Amino acid sequence: MSALTPSEQARRGGNRSMGSLLKLLPFAKRYRWHFAAVVLLVIVYNATTVLPPYLVKIAIDSDISGPRPNLHGLWTISLLYVGVVLLSVAANYLQILLVQYAGQSVVREIRVALFQHIERQSMAFFDTNAIGRLVTNVSSDTETVSQFFTNFFLSMLRDGLSLVMVVVAMFELNVRIAAWSMLLIPVLFGISALYRKRLRRAYQTTRTRLSNIMAFLAENLAGIRIIQIFHQEQRQAARFDALNRSHRQASVVEYRTSVLFNRTFEMLGNAAVAAVVWIGGGAVLHKTILFGTLYAFINYIRQFFQPINAITQQWNTLQSAAVAADRIGQVLSVEPAIVDAPNAFPLALEAVRGEVEFEHVTFAYKSEVPVLRDVSFRVPAGSFVGIVGPTGAGKSSLMSLLIRFYDPTSGRILLDGRDIRDIRQTDLHRAVGFVQQEANLFTGTVLDNIRLFRDDISRDAVIAAAEAVGAHEVVNRLPDGYDTFLYSKGANLSMGERQLISFARIVCLNPRVLILDEATANLDSHTEALVSRGLQAVSANRTTLVIAHRLATVRRADCIYVVNQGRIVESGPHEALLCRGGLYAEMYAKSGAAYEDGKMVQPI
Amino acid sequence: MPHQSGNSQRTESPTRLLRQFMWSNKGWYALSMLSIIASEIVMVQFPNLLGRFTDALSAHRLSGRMILQYAGWLLLVGVAYVILYGIGQLRNGQLGRAFEYQLRKRLFEHWERLSTSYFRRRSIGDLLNHAMNDVRAVREALTGGMNLFTNAIFLLVTTLVMTFRTISVRLTLVSIIPLLALPVFIIWWGPRIREASKSAQEALSDMAAVTEESLSAIRLVKATASEPVESARFTEKVDAIVQRQMVVFRRSGLFQTLIPFTGSVSFGIALAYGGYLTVSGQIALGSFVAFTLYLAMLITPLQQMGFVFNYFQRASASLKRLEVLLSEVPEIQDPAVPAPVTHLEGEIDVNLPAFQYPDGSEPVLRDIRFHVAAGQTVGIVGRTGSGKTTLVNLLPRVFNPPPGTVRMDGYDVHDLALRTLREAIAYVPQDGFLFSATIGENIGFSRDDATPQMLLQAAEYAGFRREIEQFPDGLDTVVGERGVTLSGGQKQRAAIARALLKDAPILILDDSLSAVDMNTEQHILAHLRRIRAGHTTIIVAHRLSAVRHADFILVLDGGRIVERGRHEALLEMGGLYASMYHLQEAAVEEVTS
Ligand SMILES: Nc1ncnc2c1ncn2[C@@H]1O[C@H](COP(=O)(O)OP(=O)(O)OP(=O)(O)O)[C@@H](O)[C@H]1O
Ligand SMILES: Nc1ncnc2c1ncn2[C@@H]1O[C@H](COP(=O)(O)OP(=O)(O)OP(=O)(O)O)[C@@H](O)[C@H]1O
Ligand SMILES: [Mg+2]
Ligand SMILES: [Mg+2]
Repeated sequence: MSALTPSEQARRGGNRSMGSLLKLLPFAKRYRWHFAAVVLLVIVYNATTVLPPYLVKIAIDSDISGPRPNLHGLWTISLLYVGVVLLSVAANYLQILLVQYAGQSVVREIRVALFQHIERQSMAFFDTNAIGRLVTNVSSDTETVSQFFTNFFLSMLRDGLSLVMVVVAMFELNVRIAAWSMLLIPVLFGISALYRKRLRRAYQTTRTRLSNIMAFLAENLAGIRIIQIFHQEQRQAARFDALNRSHRQASVVEYRTSVLFNRTFEMLGNAAVAAVVWIGGGAVLHKTILFGTLYAFINYIRQFFQPINAITQQWNTLQSAAVAADRIGQVLSVEPAIVDAPNAFPLALEAVRGEVEFEHVTFAYKSEVPVLRDVSFRVPAGSFVGIVGPTGAGKSSLMSLLIRFYDPTSGRILLDGRDIRDIRQTDLHRAVGFVQQEANLFTGTVLDNIRLFRDDISRDAVIAAAEAVGAHEVVNRLPDGYDTFLYSKGANLSMGERQLISFARIVCLNPRVLILDEATANLDSHTEALVSRGLQAVSANRTTLVIAHRLATVRRADCIYVVNQGRIVESGPHEALLCRGGLYAEMYAKSGAAYEDGKMVQPI
Repeated sequence: MPHQSGNSQRTESPTRLLRQFMWSNKGWYALSMLSIIASEIVMVQFPNLLGRFTDALSAHRLSGRMILQYAGWLLLVGVAYVILYGIGQLRNGQLGRAFEYQLRKRLFEHWERLSTSYFRRRSIGDLLNHAMNDVRAVREALTGGMNLFTNAIFLLVTTLVMTFRTISVRLTLVSIIPLLALPVFIIWWGPRIREASKSAQEALSDMAAVTEESLSAIRLVKATASEPVESARFTEKVDAIVQRQMVVFRRSGLFQTLIPFTGSVSFGIALAYGGYLTVSGQIALGSFVAFTLYLAMLITPLQQMGFVFNYFQRASASLKRLEVLLSEVPEIQDPAVPAPVTHLEGEIDVNLPAFQYPDGSEPVLRDIRFHVAAGQTVGIVGRTGSGKTTLVNLLPRVFNPPPGTVRMDGYDVHDLALRTLREAIAYVPQDGFLFSATIGENIGFSRDDATPQMLLQAAEYAGFRREIEQFPDGLDTVVGERGVTLSGGQKQRAAIARALLKDAPILILDDSLSAVDMNTEQHILAHLRRIRAGHTTIIVAHRLSAVRHADFILVLDGGRIVERGRHEALLEMGGLYASMYHLQEAAVEEVTS
């Protein structure tokens, strides 16, 4: 169901991971000087860590055991030592700060880009991608990637530097033996290559399973009330347990693989020392090399493996970062299905008249079954249009097309005679307002909810909008009026109150074309009357399209379109439709409170 | 509100849980620590062997066979070390993951017991962050932290012992004075790092919350061209993360560099003071050299300690956050001694002087008194915000009514086992929530054993069957998250079918016909009247057509019952109900006249 099903992820991920990581590099570009400074600091730090033994040596040779022990010199050396140590501490501290700052900033950029990218997607993307998974992408995968820019980078620098130094020293000592030792390098690479696939697969499985857990949690927390009311706690817990268990299992496998990998290298290091002892010892016996050379070499081989082991530790970090980068990359690589045309027309909001036209529009969510078939109609600017029809007929789909949540399969939709695909989406969305049945509210004050966090809309404008739709009294009833803090999704309001807020919101935003999709369904008749009176006042000369099941709501429309099974089956003003005696007349007959099983009761 | 089992709750706090976990796995932990220590002891032999080998070699006392022997021993030691350390590491890793698993399990089961009023206050993104990042932080400390900790402690102790054994105790004592600063550092920085990482985690939570909220409302965001605003809101949260993470790094970085610094200072003292002692002939040069070599070995474990303590501080910040979460006492719990019933007939008696939301400023319901005989149908109507949803939510204890105010079959709902109570009630909430499963799974949510026939039957009653059968995948059609791929009316009817399948003694429909057309509404109502005959049914509605046939109708206004009675009687009364009726009928009247 999801566009990124686990198996698909695993399949696709294998060959692309490293590439995905590289694709994230441009995000680091702005911080290249930070990273450069880190390089410098690492060099300073590395230098300060090799200095102390040298200082001790000087102290011993010249001041302590020299022919004339020299306390003064000893103090100087000790002070010098303290100076070096302080320098080392400072370099280390600065290096941590800088690299972390750079890393965090890179992650910040990735997060913002990812979030904006997700919000640019068309509705089809959200139909199939679980929110919990996307949240995991934004918050956890990015966090993992950050380790690439911090731990991995630092270790590569530090340990890489040490490694280079050791290798140089080896070659200086004895080119032939050093060259032979370099045979180890292909072996090291061979082992890494061998493990790479397994490691990556292990990381992938764990990550995927973790995001499954999160998707499950996100959904179940949202629906916890249903679980409780239906008393399905145990079953859902069992489902969660299965996910949780499989994640643990994958995680243990992942850990085992990485431990095995790291230990293999350590083992190799120890074996190499044993081999040097064996081969070199023989060589010393046969006098092919000097004892001193062997002695130095044993030390070097050990030193050679120290950074190597540290780097292999970070190899794990690299793999997990690559997998996370891949998951991010998969989201980033989904091109929004709906994008602005390159030569999109900038719409001047004031100039929009609000004429809407559908021309032979056919549309299907999934390509087989069309939901709308060859729909054509024209709404003159400033008119009031009702759209009615049985549930599932395609009314909401029709309106989603008008605001380009989806693009029609064929046919076109015009606003003021211009194909909406040639209008910039932001302009279109400013020109066309949409109130849905499900009111979406945000954590924040009522005020911010009405003006949607736009600071350019004043408090007075908000209050005026609320007054216009009759939400003012309701808001005033709340403990802190317009400053009442709403919990997420407006959970501390009644359903109707939430709808009133969304009405006030749309009045505030003041679009030229207004779509109301069953926006009064949860209001009582009194409130509805109030709202529609208010809307009539504010929508005096704007185009209004109203979807409603309560036919009374659209009775006064200039034209009513009756949608059935994806087609417009009837149209015309209320009276004309009644006279036709078609679907509308039938629905209307049943719409009164007095209707009873086929016969009409005269109202008193 | 009953808090009777508050204590039993506290025993399950994560710290307790951690302690219990470690205690019950003490054998394993001992094993892994021992094997790490053993591996270190084995590893000490490696340089020893090498030393002996070079000594012997330089003294020309070696034959080819002895060289092979040395090489063999070295290999053996190397292998033994790797295996022993690997065992300890693996064990710790498994234990850490086992705890991670337990913690998540515990979290989910805890959340399942918390009431709606709790979830209203929390954002899902924030809860997700707890389950994701906080749990992970704890696990990391428990694995990587444990490995390093064992290692570092061992090295620290052995090195210290060695330095003490190299002659001058006085020199050692003087030299290790700076190490006394360690506990001070830990005490000083510990809480500060913890506090900083707590606030960093909170920032992460905030970001997750904004993300979740914004994506849940994506239709609104897009339709109002609010992407830039949302992006700004998100960026603000992300910036807060960077800023707070940097506080963490400033503190932990300083801590991490200062800890090994104490070792360096020790070394400096040893250099100066030891040098002085050597120069003045109080100790031998050899001892001085050995001593400085050992002291230099202190730095590495000290660095590791710095790391480990950082790990531990962050983990304990996360643990604290989890603790706050888990110590929330479920407001709605099973009674200690449930009433001895398992089946309810459906009689309801409400005698509610007042109900107020915990965070409300005044009661939203007042003087609500009514009685529903088993099998009756009750209509509840009233203006927006008059308290209809609140009232019906009290029955299944979605919100807790004050004790003694809501009774079923004569039992206070507080005395009924939650299972009994909730099995007796089928509820269609005002925002019928669906899971991202198939339609069949959604309708059959209350019972695993439902056959397709039963599912379709329930769908039939809900007026949904024909459409389901038209879907290419039928009952197996997957609906998106929260049912996004269904139309408004389809979602609502799926929720109705889900409740009808449950076939409970009490059915509550909270404004559940608002999104369906008139034909469908009449169809559903006709079925309801038939299959609910003899079963208690409560219908909340705005369209009066839905409650017209009720045995009695309650009209709420401002949280009070202002009118009650049958449809006809209410009309005659000429009050609020009648005026609503006339508003809705005005249209028909207009045309028929
Ligand atoms: N996002 C989607 N993906 C796939 N199918 C969809 C999606 N949204 C709606 N549908 C299907 O398209 C058809 C028309 O749905 P639409 O929401 O347009 O109906 P509607 O006329 O608004 O009905 P209602 O009155 O119940 O709201 C339905 O069969 C529905 O299942
Ligand atoms: N969690 C809450 N905390 C505080 N106040 C709340 C909470 N939930 C609802 N309210 C308030 O209680 C009042 C009654 O709400 P309720 O949801 O019961 O209304 P309703 O009659 O169902 O309205 P509608 O017809 O719009 O659904 C409203 O004024 C609402 O603002
Ligand atoms: Mg719809
Ligand atoms: Mg309600």
